[in-house]
Amino acid sequence: MLHLQPHNLLIQKTLTEAIEAVNNGTPLTLDRIVSDFDYTTFHISNSDEEKSTLLLSVKTKAWASVVNCGDLLSYLQSSFTKFNGIEIPSNFENGYNYTLALDLKQLDQESVVQASLLKTMIMSFPFNLSFEEFNKLSSQPAPTTEYELNNINNNAPVFKIEYRDDENIFIKPSFDRITVIFETIFQDETDKILGKVFLQEFVDARKRNRGIQSAPQVLFSHEPPLELRNLSEYSNYTDISSSKRFITFVLFPRHFANDELKFKSVVQLTLFRSYFHYHIKCSKAYLHSRMRYRVDTFVKVLNRAKVDEEEDSKDADSEQHVRRTITGRKVVY
Amino acid sequence: MSQSLRPYLTAVRYSLEAALTLSNFSSQEVERHNRPEVEVSNSSAELLLQPMHISRNENEQVLIETSVNSIRVNIMVKQSDEIEQILVHKFTRFLEQRAEAFYILRRTPIKGYSISFLITNKHTESMKTDKLVDFIIEFMEEVDKEISEMKLFLNARARFVAEAYLGEFVY
Amino acid sequence: MSYLNNPAIVMDNGTGLTKLGFAGNDSPSWIFPTAIATSQNHTKKTSSMSSTSNTTSSNQYFGNSTSATSFNSLNASMPLSNNLAGKRGTEDLDFYIGNEALAAAQGPSYSLSYPIRHGQIENWDHMERFWENSIFKYLRTEPEDHFFLLTEPPLNPPENREQVAEIFFESFNCAGLYIAVQAVLALAASWTSSKVTDRSLTGTVIDSGDGVTHVIPVAEGYVIGSAIKNIPIAGRDITLFIQSLLRERGETDTSLRTAERIKQEYCYVCPDIVKEFNKFDRNPDKFAQFIVENQEKTQKKIVDVGYERFLAPEIFFNPEIASSDFLTPLPTIVDHTIQACPIDVRKGLYNNIVLSGGSTMFKDFGRRLQRDIKSIVNNRIAQSELLSGTKSTGVDVNVITHRKQRNAVWFGGSLLAQTAEFKSYCHTKKDYEEYGPEIVRNFSLFNMV
Repeated sequence: MLHLQPHNLLIQKTLTEAIEAVNNGTPLTLDRIVSDFDYTTFHISNSDEEKSTLLLSVKTKAWASVVNCGDLLSYLQSSFTKFNGIEIPSNFENGYNYTLALDLKQLDQESVVQASLLKTMIMSFPFNLSFEEFNKLSSQPAPTTEYELNNINNNAPVFKIEYRDDENIFIKPSFDRITVIFETIFQDETDKILGKVFLQEFVDARKRNRGIQSAPQVLFSHEPPLELRNLSEYSNYTDISSSKRFITFVLFPRHFANDELKFKSVVQLTLFRSYFHYHIKCSKAYLHSRMRYRVDTFVKVLNRAKVDEEEDSKDADSEQHVRRTITGRKVVY
Repeated sequence: MSQSLRPYLTAVRYSLEAALTLSNFSSQEVERHNRPEVEVSNSSAELLLQPMHISRNENEQVLIETSVNSIRVNIMVKQSDEIEQILVHKFTRFLEQRAEAFYILRRTPIKGYSISFLITNKHTESMKTDKLVDFIIEFMEEVDKEISEMKLFLNARARFVAEAYLGEFVY
Repeated sequence: MSYLNNPAIVMDNGTGLTKLGFAGNDSPSWIFPTAIATSQNHTKKTSSMSSTSNTTSSNQYFGNSTSATSFNSLNASMPLSNNLAGKRGTEDLDFYIGNEALAAAQGPSYSLSYPIRHGQIENWDHMERFWENSIFKYLRTEPEDHFFLLTEPPLNPPENREQVAEIFFESFNCAGLYIAVQAVLALAASWTSSKVTDRSLTGTVIDSGDGVTHVIPVAEGYVIGSAIKNIPIAGRDITLFIQSLLRERGETDTSLRTAERIKQEYCYVCPDIVKEFNKFDRNPDKFAQFIVENQEKTQKKIVDVGYERFLAPEIFFNPEIASSDFLTPLPTIVDHTIQACPIDVRKGLYNNIVLSGGSTMFKDFGRRLQRDIKSIVNNRIAQSELLSGTKSTGVDVNVITHRKQRNAVWFGGSLLAQTAEFKSYCHTKKDYEEYGPEIVRNFSLFNMV
């Protein structure tokens, strides 16, 4: 598996099974927890009133910060209610951030896929806001002076997604680009060093490979990029010694020219951290299998040194000094 | 193979051959004990022989500590940057974890070295000495090769992964 | 430390089937064969770059498996290409697990292997990748944020535990790890049964899966290793026995899959074979019919189901009807196992005989077992009373059946891992870094009273 998929396979599976069961006239009783990357937990359960209605609730770390960006609820409502069988209940399930009510009798393939994209949809909200902001800024006349440029850059909002502890995504629209900045921090010393190799390649990949010239530019830095300097928490950031790193993706208009491209870019970006960590883990697993192979060959070489006892006793047998008794015991004199 | 590696390995080989003349020797202090004297150095200095230190450069060295019934071979594996450092650390730890299968491998290296072997007279009695030396020499060659291959793999994989990710943005 | 709110992950990797899921759920989220299909030829296949994010992927491998060697659904098509074939240096990413592996192995470019043999991990390279895919693809979790509960068979060497820890802490950086013995988890799962009043970890576990049946005595959470007994009769033997009966009768469809379906849907345990034969002869309703449909649901074959309904599970109690080299009935084995244990725990072991695994799911299996063991025990008591002339206080024999029996091990794990104390029993990544892999040689036992 090279790429992580944006949709949650387990939600898809559970819903598909539930639909099948309803169609067969034996609705399932469900009370399941499903999880996703970045501190996201789903809860699939039957609705109290209607056996054929399932509630899909989500709780995610990013929620609090995404809600702060704007009117998230109506965004989600408008993106989900256009699909068959998905309703937004008036009350969300206790302990969860958001709930979808799924009518199993009306749900079709497409709606199932959409429901499994719930977390991605939540994360995509700030991205969509910045696409709108970009449209606003780019429709104004392009800045001609340094002063105007600074003015735009200072006034444009920065959207922040606090999706993990100590790791945030910042999105800053401008008049000709959108900058997406990932903070990253490694818990593990090995990962830190392997991560560095990987990040360096992300920066260099575009320069080296002609085929992906049109991909977003990637920058990597130890200190917060200029885009973040206006934020209070980074205004006098001096803690360069910390293991925090900043990865900047610069999206140009061609990366969000239409809705399909917008969605694809957002999906890729929201999965960036998981993808990146997944591959660090895969490489470690591969190194492990290399090492296992090495251990085997080394042991083989070492075993060559062992004096073969069978052979030894045969040699000894041929000599006159050793005789065997009838039970096979050696008699040495 | 680079210019200086061959003489380095030859020097290690001859030193090891010279050092591997071990005999059964009971402890002088504890009755009916037979312990590798290199590991209990402080008390009986007369049982320890002169250690041999072979150095190719500051990153690649071998220290052979000798005694009457055991020798300890300490190898410092080349680590030129932090990636190699972490790979060597991971690799030696992985080997030490499986020390059981290696008979002569010490579970922890001597301070300052990457990996240590402890060869006692028990080992030289059950194994052929020249093959043991072969093993250590081959080990030294292979470890360097393996570490650089792993590093290459890591870079290649990182490049592939990065290009695959960014390739998704190309329409 | 917000990972404290994340549900723990429970993984039960068995010889045949792997059960994956989250603690607190009542059943595993995924059940699929512990199989991995690795690419074996990199030049043959030319994959088309399907750049569309194919979200409406076919779902033929969604269903939970009940067999390690065949899919549930009949229409098997090749899984989506993962665009890796032919790319050098990435062979280790080009593989499938579970049902997808079975599907992929039908093509020319993948070869199938089962990394677990007889309950123990044989191929660590494959197992590591199997876990990798389980975690990231099927469970979609970042292992750094979750605690893991894994299971191991009884008598698993501690070196294997260390290797597991090495993989989970070094490759995956998991937050915390607990490795539990399968039999102990099966005991914990039986606490849901209404028959169980005290939550003790003493009892005899009869674990019957696809390949082999174990009888494992557990005293206060510790497995009595010297007394474990294995029986070479399990699910697959029953299926084969049904198949042979179908063939003898010359039924229209005698495939292994049909035999398996008949086993799962029609078989039950009878109290007495002779009486059951008479019942069948007097009452033809007892005979059933099983309809086999082909893939396109165009053809139907009708297979009669007769005496095998009760004869098939009977091979546990009268092995001589199916095999010629193993002749000891299951109740006798259970009795021998308990008799091999220290005398002070025997009462507890008779008292709490717990069933686990798919092949113990036959109707009335527990009742028959309890009756047979009871008669063995009562005979022995009567004899010793006769010989010694004293009155015995008697031994209670209790066989516990419960609703979670099929995935009892997983369910027990889910029960334990959802408790608040679970995380304090785990070894964390920090512990591992401080003490090294040998830390997993010991885990403190759960006390759930």
